[in-house]
Amino acid sequence: MELVLTLILLPIIASILLLMLPNQRAQYVVITAVLFLLGLGAFSLYTSMGVLTFQLSHTMNGAIVAADVVLLLFFLYQGRVFNHPKVMALAALQLVLYGYIESIVPEAGSAEIVVDSLSKFMFLIINGVGGIIVLYSVKYMEDEPTSPLKKRLFVGGLLVFLSVMNLIVIANSILLFFFLFEMTTLASYLLIAFRDDEVSRANALKALWMNQIGGVVILLGALVAIIGFKSVMFDTLLQSSGGMILLAVALLSMAALVKGASIPFEGWLLGAMVAPTPVSAMLHSATMVKIAPYLILKLAPALAVSMVGGIISIIGALVFVAASYLALSRSVLKEILGYSTVALLGLMMALAAIGTQESINLALALMLFHALSKALLFLSAGVLERLHHAKDIEDMKGMVTRSPKTVGFILFGFVSLTLPPFGLFMGKLFAITSIASLLKEHPSNLIILLSLIVGSALMVLLYFKVASALLSAPCDVEVSEAIAIPSGFNVPLVLLSFFIVIGALGYIMMQQNIFVVLLALPMLFVFALPSLIRRMDRYDRSQPYHCGEKEPFDAALVYFESSVKVQRILYWGFGSLFVAVAIVGALS
Amino acid sequence: MIWVWIALAPILGGLVYGGERVLRARMQRRQGPPLLQPFYDMFKLLDKRTLIVHAPHALLAVAHFFVLWFTIAAIFLGWNLLYIIFLHLFAQLLLIVAGYSVRSVYSHIGSNRELLMVVAYEPILILVAVGLYLVSGSFEISQILKMDGYLTQLPLLFAALLMIVPIKVKKSPFDVGEAHQEIVGGVEIEYSGVFYEFLYMSRFLEYIFIYSFVYLFGGESHWLGAVLVAGVFLLVNLVDNATARVRPAQMVKIIYTVAMALAVLNLAGVLL
Repeated sequence: MELVLTLILLPIIASILLLMLPNQRAQYVVITAVLFLLGLGAFSLYTSMGVLTFQLSHTMNGAIVAADVVLLLFFLYQGRVFNHPKVMALAALQLVLYGYIESIVPEAGSAEIVVDSLSKFMFLIINGVGGIIVLYSVKYMEDEPTSPLKKRLFVGGLLVFLSVMNLIVIANSILLFFFLFEMTTLASYLLIAFRDDEVSRANALKALWMNQIGGVVILLGALVAIIGFKSVMFDTLLQSSGGMILLAVALLSMAALVKGASIPFEGWLLGAMVAPTPVSAMLHSATMVKIAPYLILKLAPALAVSMVGGIISIIGALVFVAASYLALSRSVLKEILGYSTVALLGLMMALAAIGTQESINLALALMLFHALSKALLFLSAGVLERLHHAKDIEDMKGMVTRSPKTVGFILFGFVSLTLPPFGLFMGKLFAITSIASLLKEHPSNLIILLSLIVGSALMVLLYFKVASALLSAPCDVEVSEAIAIPSGFNVPLVLLSFFIVIGALGYIMMQQNIFVVLLALPMLFVFALPSLIRRMDRYDRSQPYHCGEKEPFDAALVYFESSVKVQRILYWGFGSLFVAVAIVGALS
Repeated sequence: MIWVWIALAPILGGLVYGGERVLRARMQRRQGPPLLQPFYDMFKLLDKRTLIVHAPHALLAVAHFFVLWFTIAAIFLGWNLLYIIFLHLFAQLLLIVAGYSVRSVYSHIGSNRELLMVVAYEPILILVAVGLYLVSGSFEISQILKMDGYLTQLPLLFAALLMIVPIKVKKSPFDVGEAHQEIVGGVEIEYSGVFYEFLYMSRFLEYIFIYSFVYLFGGESHWLGAVLVAGVFLLVNLVDNATARVRPAQMVKIIYTVAMALAVLNLAGVLL
């Protein structure tokens, strides 16, 4: 229990320390120490056995209720200040619902805090990847045009966010979960609006109202749980059967779809890309949005072999393919990464909702490896943005000559998402096998299988299209010098790459299958090839062939723009599927 | 014994390629090159002065060839079909990255097209693997070859596979990746001498790769497999002589609508 408490309190203490330390070197010392301690704590918890439970005292519960009301009032106030009716309406609706629930809430039955193996796994992702991102953000914020205090507030805010995340994965009470869910919404809102220009503000408000839909459905789920089962605890709810359990679970899963930015809610996550890059990496890719698959995994015992689970997994799978497709029309690197995050979150939710032991393990593996790879990609995108002021892939043409190392990191990130023997690829591979083995019992899984296959192919196109822009040589006229990556950026990137390799190794070894190990051979060979064939200078060089023409070279990239009609069909389709979750839950 | 076959795979593929050139010449009432022309070409290429654009570009062709060879070895050893498909994807991506890494319009467009080709045929290959799995209960080639009845249960899936064979062996109507008349060979353009030889031999291996999938539909019976391969070989060359090249986007569209529909219909039929 002390360790869990450390994970929650240490980031808060560290952020207070940071606020008092203007010296950058001192900041690095603090953050490195925190990263080390958090990583160690998470790892030793992960290897420890048993389930820890903890009952909150009366005053603590009271404080949470008070904080919750203040938080909702703040949302209401923000809606009023920026004159946003949707934000106001949803905040007011939540206030009413929350007030009503608190008036009928039964006395606590089981413990509010439960640390089980799923929470321990989440600790690993949150503290490991999250810590590295905080380390990166110090250097990133150095060039941000804002006051020094605000910079320190930003880094401190990210640390506090870590402790919120550490808390949300151990919440057993739905109401506590709701409070923390709203806290993450608040974090999204504040951090997206950090730059405080017109676009940032509009996108932040969009994130705020969309995420509040998640809050509303959680409260509705809690209401159903109280009326049906006289309890607001996840574990009591999941152990009971019959009655309206599926309705409660369906409502809670809908919150996951909102937080995971499944279509039609993907707008808020793409809008969030205007925030500083560490925010995109931390909240909108590596940790916060992982609440979506986490929540589905938590509900998996009730979702498995139910109609609700079926529809969630189909939505997830369709989102995987639709988001990959929509991403093909984008040209801003962070938006492309954002769409692919939406897609992969859909896949994780689909696997989690299938609910067999095998698919649950796969969803967990995908979560970990996705967090690592996407953090690496986002942070590299941040480096390009800072050092070369390039956000659009059209401006990144020929980046390989200007920043070879960053391009190397990005290519490595893409390879780790698509090719053997890296974890995310392995997860997809095993998922195909696993779903194929379920086909005979549940033919509806054919939809999931097909989406998985097509979506993966589209993602290959998406990633290597970006690679083509990075690799294509620039125009002859513009000659620009390569810029080295400062170590403040380099160290986090190297750490992430290191963990991707270690993770892949560990995952391969865990399979205990010699053929899976052999899958790694070609990759090793390719990396070893330059040292195997040393003497390349014995061959003469030549210029590329241009058919005798002397045209300025400009490489074309592949884009697929879907028509407005297709987009409308997609939004209406996914919108009605989202509503269908609740209807199916109510009927079954 | 099996290791000998693996070692000889490029030569085997070279013979298939040479045979194909003879066949196509006969179809067009030409004399055509001798059967061993690919090997004469090899000696010619090895004798030439090698010019390269830059070292990684040249090395990626070598890597492409060896990873492909590894894939063929995995087929001969009877591995998991899915592993084989993804190893092949890896080999293909190496070539695509190589194409992107040089400052040549043709090479770049060629890579773009290769990428679209991967996107087109990859899902069908996996669906074929899943179909074979549904009938035989295993993804392992060694197990798949112990059963039969694939052709009767998966006729539409086989048709879908037929549609992607021309993509892999670069034959009309889907030879967009090479398209000599428009993009002068695409990815291949910047290679010469010994490095071009590696790329040339990769093409032989591609023949073995895609025709192994055709062969699998014969199942237990070796002669049925052989007849299927021979039949498809003839058909593909016939179609090559009789059709014009489609545009890359059209290719993706045709595969994603027609071939995908055939495959999914067949799988749904097996399941229900």
